[in-house]
Amino acid sequence: MKDSCSSISRLLEKYFDQEPTDKERLLVESHLQDCTACKGALKSMEELRTAIKVPVEEALQKEDFPWVWQNIERQIRLQEKLTWWQSIRSWLDISPLFQRKVWIPAVATAAVLLFITTQIIFKNTSSYPGASVVEYVESETNNVMVYDLEKAKVTVIWLFEGPEEEALPS
Amino acid sequence: MNHEETETISRCQQGDQEALKEIYDKYHKKVYRIAYGVVRQREDALDIVQEVFIKLFRSIKNFKGRSHFYTYLYRMVMNTAIDHSRKVGKRFIQSLDEEGSFEPSDGVEKGPERILLQKELEERVKLAMDKLPAEQKAAIIFRDVEGLSYQEMAEAMGCSIGTVMSRLHYGRKRIQELLKDYVMLHDQSRGGQNSSKL
Repeated sequence: MKDSCSSISRLLEKYFDQEPTDKERLLVESHLQDCTACKGALKSMEELRTAIKVPVEEALQKEDFPWVWQNIERQIRLQEKLTWWQSIRSWLDISPLFQRKVWIPAVATAAVLLFITTQIIFKNTSSYPGASVVEYVESETNNVMVYDLEKAKVTVIWLFEGPEEEALPS
Repeated sequence: MNHEETETISRCQQGDQEALKEIYDKYHKKVYRIAYGVVRQREDALDIVQEVFIKLFRSIKNFKGRSHFYTYLYRMVMNTAIDHSRKVGKRFIQSLDEEGSFEPSDGVEKGPERILLQKELEERVKLAMDKLPAEQKAAIIFRDVEGLSYQEMAEAMGCSIGTVMSRLHYGRKRIQELLKDYVMLHDQSRGGQNSSKL
């Protein structure tokens, strides 16, 4: 191989792929006239291409694509009958917003806010959260329950207006 | 992209299955050729053809027409075929090194033995192709099987023409290296009549 072969090798590949400029083509053809090594390299590339391409073409010629289109149609039909849950998932997959996962921090923040708000609302509306019964007194007219609220330091006496059935002696 | 194809794609984007059938009729052989080039198994190649057209129907809305439709499709085929061969292809991949030595036939140039040699070479090339990185394999298939130009390949592979040339160059070089021992034996068996270096 001549010294100039190394500089021509990339052009040789372009020439083989039919992509050279006119100038490059002339350069390669002039080089090939008296370089058997590069002619051999060109032949090698041709043989390699044949070895890669021929089996594919042979396989294609034999192929009659049995049921391929029918299977495609069937698969598409099956995918159209999605359940509501699959539809949501599919929508989430397709939506570019959801694909980018930018919604995760927003949803997490909303969930935390919802939790905090719920706690505040329930705290304000609940009569005696965390109260525990410390004494229970039964009588014929009233039942008395004594609650102890630790935080508020308040004792609440709850009087039932009438005796409960289960509280009556048997 | 001609007007008729643009109109077909537009219909397909609106969910028209007839339009998909038209696209299938036009491209299924090309899709098969690329798929077969990667996996080299009939059943797998047919599976890929199915998968590609189902995927296409689902995702064709994302095609904005900024590139040729066929390069968009070819990219999808190549990605699907490479994914497929990664999933199930391991069973087909055999190591050239582990295969044991190959004894070429005597120097008979014509007839059944010549055909046998050609088949053996094809088999060797297949095995060598499996050793290539996916990008180099894709470049060789796009160029040598499908006959795409460098420009079309760059579009289909989402890279520059320089990168395409580089992938082709290194891919071919690697295959030639992998086949070197086989060819040397082959040439010796033929009494060095052929100066080819493949």
